[in-house]
Amino acid sequence: MIRLTRVLGGVLLIACTGLYGCAGQRSEAALEQASEDFQKVKEDSNVLRIAPKDVIRAGESLARADRLSSYWGSGSDVVHYAYLSQRYSEIAREHTNQALNQEQAAKLELERQRLQLALREAKLLSVQQQGKWLEEQIINLATTQTDRGLVMTLGDVLFDTGEAELKSSANRTVLKVVQFLQLNPKRVVRIEGYTDNTGDKQSNLKLSRDRAQAVADILVDLGVEEKRVQVEGYGDEYPVEANASERGRAQNRRVEIVFSDEKGQLGAAR
Amino acid sequence: MSIRPLFAALAVLALAGCAADPAPNEQMRLTEQTLAQAKAVGATAEDVPEMKLAEDKFARAQRNMQEESFKHARMRAEQAELDARLAEARVLTLKSQEQLNLVQTRITRLRKQLGDAQ
Repeated sequence: MIRLTRVLGGVLLIACTGLYGCAGQRSEAALEQASEDFQKVKEDSNVLRIAPKDVIRAGESLARADRLSSYWGSGSDVVHYAYLSQRYSEIAREHTNQALNQEQAAKLELERQRLQLALREAKLLSVQQQGKWLEEQIINLATTQTDRGLVMTLGDVLFDTGEAELKSSANRTVLKVVQFLQLNPKRVVRIEGYTDNTGDKQSNLKLSRDRAQAVADILVDLGVEEKRVQVEGYGDEYPVEANASERGRAQNRRVEIVFSDEKGQLGAAR
Repeated sequence: MSIRPLFAALAVLALAGCAADPAPNEQMRLTEQTLAQAKAVGATAEDVPEMKLAEDKFARAQRNMQEESFKHARMRAEQAELDARLAEARVLTLKSQEQLNLVQTRITRLRKQLGDAQ
């Protein structure tokens, strides 16, 4: 009887050693990697400041893996807890990166507001320096009540030929729009770009969209919330005049600002 | 009587003890919740590899539960939980990075315009 148990015990012992031998190397490597990762996050002061809980959990799991590694036959448990520890280290790192991004974004947001204010002042100044208001006809600023709602047209003279950048002579109009939108916080706008029919359709479409976007960008830069501004480019569609004459084509090259009603209801896009 | 058979018996008992893990119901619930949370912030298996790992491991854990292989179920569910948490964190980091880029673009644009205005 005693002999039998001895033999059994021996077999058991050999089996255990075998198991340990197989899993041993794998668990050793996992443990090493996990503790290396843990060291890195532990020594990072940002991680410690922002994600201390994750670091603690990484440490706890690592300690557990380490403790288990001194037992026989626990190779898979060691690998498991080493894995958990590594994950916690990675999570700590991600949480830290996220918080750092947010901290920096908050700082930059202040900077952005400062610049926005400066830009507004600069624009006001340049309007004043122009001495006299530009003639309504020259900048072709017109607000008309159409079936699409209130529409303001920015004429072709506000852009250089083929360019999408708004000239500084548009300052007054743009400021007016911004002021109007600030007084009417529920209103939203759709900015629609149009061209004449010279040139190919594709590049007209792009130019019309770029011009509309340029106007939208300035509105946003001057403090209108981005979500209140929609942008559309229609290329050479919907001409207001025949494209036959130079005058007609100039009329068709335009950016229209369509205002919603007081409740923010905007007519459907074309 | 020698003390050795006692040891052997103890060892066998200990091994048997290991095999009889309790059903990790709480962990399964927690993992499921974590997966849902990661999905809610927009982590998908296609875009975030950790999310794929999490979903695969959780599915295997559920099979293990049916087979009453509770130890495997617990380990897989635990790993799946952390995989999902990592996936969620990665998505949130990416979003914060995009937000940061947006503010930076706006600042660049403002600076350029300020340069033009002066």
